[in-house]
Amino acid sequence: MNPEPFLQIDRVIHEKGRLAIMSMLAASPELSFTELRDILGMTDGNITTHIRTLQEAGYLSVTKSFQNNRPLTTCAMTPAGRKAFSHYINLLERIIRQNKPE
Amino acid sequence: MQSIAMESNWAAEHLQVIRTLMERSALYRRALAPIMIFNGVVGLAAAALGWGLKIGSPRGFILFWAGVSVVAMTGSFLLVRRQAIKDSEPIWSPPTRRVIQAFVPPLTAGLLISAVVLVNLGVAAEAGGELPLLWVILYGCAFHAAGFFMPRGMKLFGWAFVLGGCVLFAVGPPAWVRPLDCGHGIMGLFFGGLHLAYGGYLYFTERRRNET
Repeated sequence: MNPEPFLQIDRVIHEKGRLAIMSMLAASPELSFTELRDILGMTDGNITTHIRTLQEAGYLSVTKSFQNNRPLTTCAMTPAGRKAFSHYINLLERIIRQNKPE
Repeated sequence: MQSIAMESNWAAEHLQVIRTLMERSALYRRALAPIMIFNGVVGLAAAALGWGLKIGSPRGFILFWAGVSVVAMTGSFLLVRRQAIKDSEPIWSPPTRRVIQAFVPPLTAGLLISAVVLVNLGVAAEAGGELPLLWVILYGCAFHAAGFFMPRGMKLFGWAFVLGGCVLFAVGPPAWVRPLDCGHGIMGLFFGGLHLAYGGYLYFTERRRNET
């Protein structure tokens, strides 16, 4: 078995919570902090940590604004995040392909 | 050998999770089959009731079908709510919001035009003949717009309303049918028949997909 795809896996994305956030944002232009938290059923602390990690990796951009006088935090995937996510999916597909019985 | 199979399963499971989450974020799928079947049954029952009760005046026709639409929308909302609670998801999810936003303009247009017709009944004495077609076409536009955030078939479903409505408008009602009987028939055919047919299709295809 070729171990190369495993070694290339992005450890930032390859975590259950962060992968879920990236998957949601890959299909939506942007989502609010509350939407992500409610849909994924995460705690405030948990999702904040994951978002910060993804933001530090340059995969997410976080915008803070106000809506109806209430603070609104929205997250969107950056081009680098989209590229990394696409690469991650390609690796998973390669793993499946190379392990497929001939 | 076992390790290879495990790695492959692990990758496939990851891809499945990603696909599910992306769909949950982008596509509205909640309770579509039950909603379609419910609306189909309501549409057919209402058409039969309207015809049986001989609701023949334009005012009666508009008010009757406005009442039916309230029943249909309330029932649909309760079905959506029930599934959201069952799946432990928020009702007001991003796809739900986008679908509602797409529905609002054509449905508002239908509501406002109906209100104008209701106020100016003298001008629209034949409302029973043409208003249902307008509702059908606008409803089709609403579904087509919402179809961008729903499974692909929804856009085709919207087209069926739009094209069907336009064809009937071009052909016109048969001479031997009273305009308002024709109106109840149109409403039953489109809002009853089409919903029921598509609901049945969704029900069986979703069940087959869940089984596989």
